[in-house]
Amino acid sequence: MNVQVADTALETEGEKLRTKVSIKKLAFYYGETRALKDIDLPLYDRKVTAFIGPSGCGKSTLLRVLNRIYEMYPNQRAEGRVMLDGVNILDPKQDVNLLRAKIGMVFQKPTPFPMSIYENIAFGIRLYERLSKDEMDQRVEDALQRAALWKEVKDKLHTSGLGLSGGQQQRLCIARTIAVRPDVILLDEPCSALDPISTAKIEELIDELKSDYTIVIVTHNMQQAARTSDYTAFMYLGELVEFGETRTIFTHPAKQQTQDYITGRFG
Amino acid sequence: MPTQHIVQSFDDELRRLATLIVQMGGLAEQQLASAVEAVVRRDSDLATEVVQNDAKLDTMRTQIDDLAIELLARRQPLANDLRTVVSALRISSEIERIGDYAKNVAKRSIALNQAPLVKPVHAIPRMAALVQALIKDTLDAYITADAAKADAVWARDEEVDELYTSLFRELLTYMMEDPRSITACTHLLFIAKNIERIGDHATNIAELIHYTVKGEMKKEERPKGDDTAYAVVTAPGGRQ
Amino acid sequence: MDLYARRRFRSNMVVILSVAAALLGLSWLVMILGTLFFEGLGGLNLAVFAEMTPPPGQDGGLRNAIVGTLLMTSIAVVIGTPIGILAGTYLAEYGRHAKLSMVVRFINDVLLSAPSIVIGLFVYEVMVIHMGHFSAWAGAVALAIIVIPVVLRTTEDMLNLVPNGLREAATALGAPRYFVIRKVAYKAARNGILTGILLAVARISGETAPLLFTALNNQFWSLDLNAPMANLPVVIFQFALSPYEDWRRLAWVGALLITVAILALNIIARLLAGRSRTK
Repeated sequence: MNVQVADTALETEGEKLRTKVSIKKLAFYYGETRALKDIDLPLYDRKVTAFIGPSGCGKSTLLRVLNRIYEMYPNQRAEGRVMLDGVNILDPKQDVNLLRAKIGMVFQKPTPFPMSIYENIAFGIRLYERLSKDEMDQRVEDALQRAALWKEVKDKLHTSGLGLSGGQQQRLCIARTIAVRPDVILLDEPCSALDPISTAKIEELIDELKSDYTIVIVTHNMQQAARTSDYTAFMYLGELVEFGETRTIFTHPAKQQTQDYITGRFG
Repeated sequence: MPTQHIVQSFDDELRRLATLIVQMGGLAEQQLASAVEAVVRRDSDLATEVVQNDAKLDTMRTQIDDLAIELLARRQPLANDLRTVVSALRISSEIERIGDYAKNVAKRSIALNQAPLVKPVHAIPRMAALVQALIKDTLDAYITADAAKADAVWARDEEVDELYTSLFRELLTYMMEDPRSITACTHLLFIAKNIERIGDHATNIAELIHYTVKGEMKKEERPKGDDTAYAVVTAPGGRQ
Repeated sequence: MDLYARRRFRSNMVVILSVAAALLGLSWLVMILGTLFFEGLGGLNLAVFAEMTPPPGQDGGLRNAIVGTLLMTSIAVVIGTPIGILAGTYLAEYGRHAKLSMVVRFINDVLLSAPSIVIGLFVYEVMVIHMGHFSAWAGAVALAIIVIPVVLRTTEDMLNLVPNGLREAATALGAPRYFVIRKVAYKAARNGILTGILLAVARISGETAPLLFTALNNQFWSLDLNAPMANLPVVIFQFALSPYEDWRRLAWVGALLITVAILALNIIARLLAGRSRTK
């Protein structure tokens, strides 16, 4: 399973692609078990990249390497390099908290903090910035506007975030993430707990956000990957099988394995 | 057609789609054969039958399109499945056109029967046999998802074109020699043109098969042997 | 009888037996409460809160004992709660996968079920003997030792109930570990931890044995933490066993006060816990 990935910028419709994150020779271990092997993959600036593959293929693991959230748990380690704007973020000298402020993450289950909507957004901002009340109000509003949630919550900013619907909670989590002004946003199956309408709202949001952020989405829903992403990486058994433009992957993938998976022929 | 989805009913539906296409193609091939037979045997009854049978092809096309649209809506096919379904939609319309041309051949044979026999009729069954073989091979390529075979059909249409060109010249010459044969020869000319067009539709289907299997459209131009658009035939012994 | 009827009969039998057992168990509680109210309510008056414990044959109240119990309980909570919460935090947050945690957890479980008289003896040995006299401090420390395992256990349990997703979400925003615990985990577990503290208070406010060896008793008004101090459980113990009618009546009143207080604490704890669950 050798994957050829163009490392230099590709040209798409005359538009120059810049590699924001470059994953090189990445391997990942849970204790002695190798969960990722030899991953080489670019994530293009201001593009949406989808990771697809069957459960346990390592797509979520790969996502969790990108912000080093795996370090919360013992016995997990990554080898290789992940270059963010040319800097290896796996370097032990890298400040992980600063890294995580740069690479935001939204999880499968909506995780509003047990505090008000306002405080949920302000939480991340306060970690790194001292703002006056007016400035903070503005930042909170901006984030909620961008997450298309402002209209729904502007009159109840100081009520608990737990009182929102599942879809609203997830948009709150996205707002919370963009409030910190990251460069990259990682979405780990962000719609798997949501109804179709809320899912559509999140997908619309992804479309809007990609003009400012590099977005990675892990999803089990093939159609969602096809709808939302510009590039798709298909993973299987901890390896990257195929990476390419989404329209190519979903109409004529190069690898038989990819085709079998996306057409529902995996045995 | 490739099968083996985890969801077996999806396989069943794709197989049904393929079966419908092959049946429709078979019927169109049969229509062409009967129409040509009606021309050769000057059999107006057979010709009428062909004209009536065309409605069956239209019905089958509706069936195929309905099933394909249902598949798109309910299964959201991707990759080769998506190409299979989209191609089915287009192949059904190509076959329908083949049927329309066969019907036109049959109609003209009825008119032809009112006129005296002209000699160049002999070339029609030869051309028809070639085109029928094209249709048959195309359908074989479809059912076995054989891109190489489809490509071969695609290349072979050149022969049909060449045959048509020579018949075209022959008929023109014939008409110039004997203006009384113009009615019959004009009908024959259109019959030959229809059969040639059927060959073109068969190659279109071959291209769609190529796309379904390979995932990309054929880029090269098809070799063409039909020069009739530029043909100028001077009367023998011309009027100088 | 067909199968269905047989099964229904058996099912009914089990229901009847279970209900009977539940009622029997409950009846003891009702009887205890009934006796307490019957015996204690009569002696309850303002003097109970206003006057000191009397010598036999005189009028008096329980003021010094009530205040002493409140004081020592408060000190015990102030000492025990931070230790319990911090240790619980270690187990649930920092040391989740550490070997030390297993040891601490085991020892804590032992401490949790240790007879309180043993704790009293221990503090007597360590503090009272060394200081040379009984004292409110020793009493408070003994009570604190009882508070710690209860608070530790509930803190750990409640923090474990906080979804890991919350911690990951906060960490993913760039929050350092201590920040995640302080601002997110504690907030999510707050009601549960408060419940634990209330239950610990309920537990120690009725403890007699540890105080018998430590704070002892004091017939007079004293707020000196270095001297013996009156407290409700020991007063009840002494008065109830005395031959004097009026002392015994005061003992009933004291018992009623403690029971009502513990009942109230339990109800508040239950409400708090319920609220945190529906959230």
